[in-house]
Amino acid sequence: MLISLKWLNDYIDLSDVSIEKIEEKLTASGLEVEEIIDYKSKYNNIVVGFVESSEKHPDSDHLSICSVSDGNSIYNVICGAPNVAKGQKVAFAKVGAIIPNGNLEIKKAKIRGVNSEGMLCSESELGLSENHSGIIVFDESAEIGKNIASHLQLDDVSFEISITPNRADALSHIGVARDLAALFNKNIKLPEINFQPIAKNIAEFAKVIIENSSDCPRYSAIIMEDVKVQESPKWLQDRLKTIGLRSINNIVDVTNYVMYEIGQPLHAFDLDNLSGKTIIVKNASENETFITLDSKLHKLNSNNLMICDAEKPVAIAGIMGGENSEVTPNTKNILIESAFFNQSSIRKTSKQLGISTDASYRFERKTNPDITIWAAKRAAQLIQQIAGGNILDGILDIYPNPIEEKIVEIRFTRIYKILGYSIEKNIIKDIFLKLGFEILTENNDFLKIRIPLSRPDIEREIDLIEEVARIYGFENIPEITRINVTLNKKIDQTSIREKIRDTFVGLDFNEIITNSLLNKETAEKFGNPINLLNPQSSEMTHPRPTLFAGMLQTISRNLKVKENNLKLYEIGHIFNQINPEIVDFSDFQEIDSLLFAITGFSSDEEWFHSKEKFDIYSLKGIAESLVQNIIPNKKIRFEYFTGANSYFEYGFVIKIEQKEIGKGGKIKSDICNFFDVKQDVFAFETSINNLELETEEQKFKPLLKFPKIQKDMAFIIDKSVTSEEVEKVIKKGSSNLLKNIKLFDIFESEAIGKNKKSLAFQLEYYNEQRTLTDEEVDKEFWQAIEKVKTELKAELRGN
Amino acid sequence: MLDKIEQIVKNFNSEIENATQKDIFEEIRNKYFSRKGLIAELFEDLKQLSKDEKPKYGQLLNQTKNELNAIFEKYLENYSSKNLESSFNLDLTLPSKKKNLGTKHILNQTLLEIKDIFKGLGFSIYDGPELESDYYNFEALNFPKDHPARDMQDTFFVNKNFLLRTHTSPVQARLMQSTKPPIRAIIPGKVYRNEAISAKSYCLFHQVEGLFIDKDVTFAELTGTLIYFAKQYFGENVKYRFRPSFFPFTEPSSEVDIWWQPKGKTGRWLEILGCGMVDPNVLEFNGIDSEEYTGYAFGLGIERMTMLKYGIDDIRIFFDNDKRFLKQF
Repeated sequence: MLISLKWLNDYIDLSDVSIEKIEEKLTASGLEVEEIIDYKSKYNNIVVGFVESSEKHPDSDHLSICSVSDGNSIYNVICGAPNVAKGQKVAFAKVGAIIPNGNLEIKKAKIRGVNSEGMLCSESELGLSENHSGIIVFDESAEIGKNIASHLQLDDVSFEISITPNRADALSHIGVARDLAALFNKNIKLPEINFQPIAKNIAEFAKVIIENSSDCPRYSAIIMEDVKVQESPKWLQDRLKTIGLRSINNIVDVTNYVMYEIGQPLHAFDLDNLSGKTIIVKNASENETFITLDSKLHKLNSNNLMICDAEKPVAIAGIMGGENSEVTPNTKNILIESAFFNQSSIRKTSKQLGISTDASYRFERKTNPDITIWAAKRAAQLIQQIAGGNILDGILDIYPNPIEEKIVEIRFTRIYKILGYSIEKNIIKDIFLKLGFEILTENNDFLKIRIPLSRPDIEREIDLIEEVARIYGFENIPEITRINVTLNKKIDQTSIREKIRDTFVGLDFNEIITNSLLNKETAEKFGNPINLLNPQSSEMTHPRPTLFAGMLQTISRNLKVKENNLKLYEIGHIFNQINPEIVDFSDFQEIDSLLFAITGFSSDEEWFHSKEKFDIYSLKGIAESLVQNIIPNKKIRFEYFTGANSYFEYGFVIKIEQKEIGKGGKIKSDICNFFDVKQDVFAFETSINNLELETEEQKFKPLLKFPKIQKDMAFIIDKSVTSEEVEKVIKKGSSNLLKNIKLFDIFESEAIGKNKKSLAFQLEYYNEQRTLTDEEVDKEFWQAIEKVKTELKAELRGN
Repeated sequence: MLDKIEQIVKNFNSEIENATQKDIFEEIRNKYFSRKGLIAELFEDLKQLSKDEKPKYGQLLNQTKNELNAIFEKYLENYSSKNLESSFNLDLTLPSKKKNLGTKHILNQTLLEIKDIFKGLGFSIYDGPELESDYYNFEALNFPKDHPARDMQDTFFVNKNFLLRTHTSPVQARLMQSTKPPIRAIIPGKVYRNEAISAKSYCLFHQVEGLFIDKDVTFAELTGTLIYFAKQYFGENVKYRFRPSFFPFTEPSSEVDIWWQPKGKTGRWLEILGCGMVDPNVLEFNGIDSEEYTGYAFGLGIERMTMLKYGIDDIRIFFDNDKRFLKQF
């Protein structure tokens, strides 16, 4: 919200305080100043210029070449405005000026072959109005060369303040002034209300009925006759301009002005369009329609609070007036509404209808029910000053259950317990007084305080403690040099993920983090995704049911920049719907998943070896290293599938006993194609939970004290026999002296036969208790060979 | 016998000299050293010799066998190392046989750094779900229904009771309900905001939540702890300020700004985290006596911290996962 410095000075004298100090103090007290708009510097280098001459551009129908004086020099300026003419006083932006509308810097330029050293501006270009029909022409009295901010008396400063939702009280100039008074130890003064009503009693003339007093606890109204609706005077237009509001007419402008002054939203009705001169506050009927003053049609329901006359609705309460009763240039008599509505009722209706206005914004944050009459009178007084007319005697005010001010106790010990530093009692008391709170009781232990209704956010002791800390200043919190650490057991639920990441660093993988929101088509390819009710775009409608999509998108994007060799992994949550409707956490599944993928070449061409493509064996090896590194003391085993399985063409499952730990393989090419990935991708998926459940404390295993004996064997065997089958038979033919079998060579060639292959194994024998003799190992070894020969029709090589 | 041995040694020498393929080495191994190889044959022959001759030839045979074996292994080794060092002149300027290491995502490196700092201060580390209930994300944190405070966080809803969490704070409520104080924990994780994607904002980001509940936890301790954190992360000379703010679940509430001035640019205050004393309503709602216990909480954005530290100006680059970016850190 924009707050004008000049405007603030109406209520608090800030003449001895610098702009920087105001900014600092406001921010330090919780009213964060996001930007300072200094209109003088905003219009730097934009001055009143004099058009000495204006001629048509030789190469253009609509451009003119002008000579413009700033009082010192004459400049050549090309102008496209239809209304430019010799002898005008204009808004001249010189080289170096920044045009507020669009932030364009003016530079020397050549326009259709002619030099131009500046620009003549329209109101819209200067951000003064939306008028861009032609350049601004000032009247004769304008002083040539004067900065236009000074000429237009726009030499104000505005603070753009970000107001948190709890500070409804600060949504007005008086509200901000109240904080400044406490911060700078000054007093504020409110404008005096002082007008002479005519001898016509409002109560005999009009009436207000509240049918729903819980949503509308208070409704006040004042009536004026014979006002003249016209353009607002310059001072009012300027004030609204400095806080970014557009002037509409003098009546509407005053209602806005008072809202930004005290925070009470007002609405002016054309009294002659209020049937029966009656206001009835009640709920809409179901499916009733209503046209607001922006000419939009709304469908209502029975929860929407409406302002009605004797026959029809005339406004959506607290949100927006109706077209049927708005103030028009022909309006003579007006009723000014100044009401207090229930905050959640306004918010619900505003959300439901999708209308948010300055009024609804304030009502839903809770306004002050105490100021309705003051605000109505203040508006009437201002309207009378600028639009004439008569104010009827009295005020309509329905307030059946007056809201009481809260009384809250604050204990000094509690202040210390929360803040951890002590503040003198006198300072505490002073802070409350400056904020306009009343101290009812005071003793050594506590203060009893009455909170004005302007501060709906203060209801509890903790709220008062916050006020003390805020105004006393966070910069005054003493620095501490030691803290207390509790000695209860420490837990790190993320440690396994860190161990996995460390493993991948060692395996030369890059970690990725992808967008977890996918579009429908992609998400549905990979599971049973959950639909978002209100997505930001059609590209992000479903939380990912898998990490595969993000992985393949990442691979695709990298291939486009010629990063063809990739080893990537991601750890992240995936979401799948279980039951058709989500009413409980058991209706969906959220898993912390892990996926890694490899594609392209594992190593480039080097002088010491040739390049090598990633294949299923690379994947298998990485999966094995990873799982075994995380779960070192459990035996893992592989199961294989050669037909399509989930997203894989072929692949394997890693198991520990009967439990599946993860699954990997070559991703189906149609899935790769969907992501525009034209090379083979191998991937392995598991979950953090799967891995974590298997981990157990690692124990030392004594080192072997006796020698190992290694022996090699090679077979020529049918191509269809798998390496695993051979290993199984070798084991079958051996005792427990055989500890490891390793395939170390495989080849196929014409020489050994068309359907044959050669497999060579290294066998490792040892016993933990003693040294083995050559004889017993030889016996074992030959037994195993015989077993393979007979069971698998293998031929021992080298015989 | 002697002739036979000599002949075999001669043949072996010429064959091994000409071995240039792995196959040939295998053939030689089989021909001479296998169970039915030529050397085994010689040992067979030994049995037919007289008692006198046996030891003499036996010794010779053993010696020969060992020698041939050694020669074979030497040639094989030479072959296997692709004759590298022996066939090239030693050229130490050849490129190294480099092994690459992988990377953790830069956001997780930042997180690790943050975790380390808070672990050092005795914090536990907890996890929580991303698909949350309105109850934990808002209600248990003192966000009443139909309150404008809910507008502070644009939310992706699944339905009226479930949503993608907008902050890591729901885990605060989960911890308070499941654990007795003292609770001293940080909670890292992904959070979601229904905002358009731009250089400055993304539909998700990563947060680290902090929570400490015990007897006598104070606001001064909170600010002191966070100043320590800022100095650890940004350096001893970091310029910071605490600025009053509003969060429904803390009171008093504060934001922390640090002064940021990249070389050659004008400086400005940048918000890095929000914090405050846990609101008594939140303690009570989650079953903790607010007269006996007090607590503080804070939340910081990992993307923001990373962007500041490394001079990254577009948040989207974190989620593009371009390998050229990933490899940098």
